[in-house]
Amino acid sequence: MWVATLIEYSFKNAKWSDVFPSPVSAIDARHLALTYADGTEAVEDVSLDIPEGEFFGFLGANGAGKTTTIKMLVTLLRPTEGSVRVNGYDVADAPRRVRESIGYMAQETSIDTELTARENVRFACEAYGVPRGERAGRIDDLLDLVDLADVADKRAKDFSGGMKKRLDVATALVHEPPVVFLDEPTTGLDPKARNRLWDYFRRINDRGTTVFLTTQYLEEADQLCERIGVIKGGEIAVSGSPAELKSRVGGDVLELELDDPTDRDVERARAIAADSALVDDAAAVETTDDGIVVTSSVARSRGTDLLVSLRDAGLTITGFNVRSPTLDDVFLAITGEEYDVDGDDTDADATADPERAPGASR
Amino acid sequence: MSAETESDAGTAAGTGNSRAEASGNGFLTDTWVNLKRWMLKTARNPFVLTFSLLNPLMFLVLFTEVFGGVTGGAIGGSVGADVNYTTYLVPAIAIQVSLVSATTSGIGLVEDIESGMFEKALVSPMHRGAVFLGKSLSEVLRIVVQVCIVLTFGYVLLWLDTGGNTGPYVATGLPGAVGIVVVGIVFSVWFTAFSNIMALVTRDQESTMLSVNILQFPLLFLSSAFLPLESLPGWVRVVASLNPITYGIDAARALMFGRDVMSVVEVTAFGGVWNTLVPALAVLVTLDIAFGAVAVYYMARATSAEAR
Repeated sequence: MWVATLIEYSFKNAKWSDVFPSPVSAIDARHLALTYADGTEAVEDVSLDIPEGEFFGFLGANGAGKTTTIKMLVTLLRPTEGSVRVNGYDVADAPRRVRESIGYMAQETSIDTELTARENVRFACEAYGVPRGERAGRIDDLLDLVDLADVADKRAKDFSGGMKKRLDVATALVHEPPVVFLDEPTTGLDPKARNRLWDYFRRINDRGTTVFLTTQYLEEADQLCERIGVIKGGEIAVSGSPAELKSRVGGDVLELELDDPTDRDVERARAIAADSALVDDAAAVETTDDGIVVTSSVARSRGTDLLVSLRDAGLTITGFNVRSPTLDDVFLAITGEEYDVDGDDTDADATADPERAPGASR
Repeated sequence: MSAETESDAGTAAGTGNSRAEASGNGFLTDTWVNLKRWMLKTARNPFVLTFSLLNPLMFLVLFTEVFGGVTGGAIGGSVGADVNYTTYLVPAIAIQVSLVSATTSGIGLVEDIESGMFEKALVSPMHRGAVFLGKSLSEVLRIVVQVCIVLTFGYVLLWLDTGGNTGPYVATGLPGAVGIVVVGIVFSVWFTAFSNIMALVTRDQESTMLSVNILQFPLLFLSSAFLPLESLPGWVRVVASLNPITYGIDAARALMFGRDVMSVVEVTAFGGVWNTLVPALAVLVTLDIAFGAVAVYYMARATSAEAR
């Protein structure tokens, strides 16, 4: 009975988190919408419920509404509709409480290049009211965390893009916030710098910090996140764990290259693959410039059978590759971006939801 | 902004419930934190600091050396025949220094907007008023130091020119010298507000720099800076009598000579120096409030979370 009472209470009373000092959700956004003054509906309906300690990835193409959403979560933009609670504080009623309890790293690197690395972190410590006695140690720890200890007293002006980003990360963490927002933190960085940042983000998350990360890099979300929300056109198109999302592609991906990919041979190969034991109701065959791509739950175990069939038909295979679906496959399948939708064979829906688009390849 | 402040105050009252997190500072601490950052930035740029002072000092030297010999007649009527042109010019240069400092205020704001530090402050728990107060105080401090340097430099120049026979210099003594600094600060507010308005409207460093710099020389020359109003040609005199610089310079000059030098409006009610100071400061304070209100409006707009 008391459970029912509690649930009832939670519905009646918006200040749920005041009753329980440790709210279940680090971020609780309900039906967020934001329309700019010029009528642009940047965000139409976004709801998020992110538990404490989760590494959440917010994935979307340019202009999908990622930055607008994150700015609503960190009190920089007031939602046109909907409500947000971060760490139990309402962004509209208690913006200062929210600001105290979050770290935010903007898409554009935000540091004072006239100051040294140490001075940048010190300013952040002071701005967030880190007690005087803890500052020096905290500054050293953070500069250590982002590998800038050896250049701590150099001016940030001379830092590389990656170093500036890392310094920006450090300044967002001075007050040990339970939630950290990272808006496309690795955009424009080389792979090495990006990999290093990923390590820091994992370390931050390992310390129990909830991380909300936006990215257009699918690999990044796959590498880091426990759960992903894909935003398209101002709404969350799909969400789930990387594994769940990958399973929506319908299996592993088998890529075959023909020695002489004439239209006729590619079409023959497609027909053979479509008739093979590989392809059941939930599989798809696509043609490419070089050959064919088969998505199948048995691509690994039965892939060689297809090779044999193709050889028997007189087709020479020069390339053969089986891989797990990447988030790229998932993202493109769901959002349809960058996909050539001229022909049935490359219809985006075919890979995203084979059951609903059976005509694409059968 | 005001609604936000109220609601935050409301929440602060109920902190008994809230979790133990790093908490923000009081208003004064926030002001100090920002003042420190801007002082550090100023100190990091000794060249900017030197050259912004060098320009007015060069004016002082060039004008006094080139025109010093022929201006006696023109300034005699206004401040007395035995007055050296250097003494006449130093108050104008003090105001010029304030003008230059005010110019850089907007440029600093644009830099912060462009570097993301502006947004960083907005997303921090710092009091927003304190963020801007701290920055402004660093500019005031700069004016204090630079005006003191101008006054000292002017005296040295005068001493060298006259072989130690300087005549009256800051006739009102130490309170007068402090007064000149205060006039410089009061004068700087409206132009600081103006350069910040340009920064918030253009959000671009070059545009801000251009729009405030282009005004600097016309404002300076079409004023009582180099010659008294009555010796200026017709239309220049009209512009000069409407130019805020004239009021700033007249106020500083009154303190320099210890007498009423205001020629735009004849006020006799207060006696001596005050006949210049009261109307001049009244004009400047009015301007400060008007420009300040517009700047606050734009600042509130720029810091609001309202979608635009």
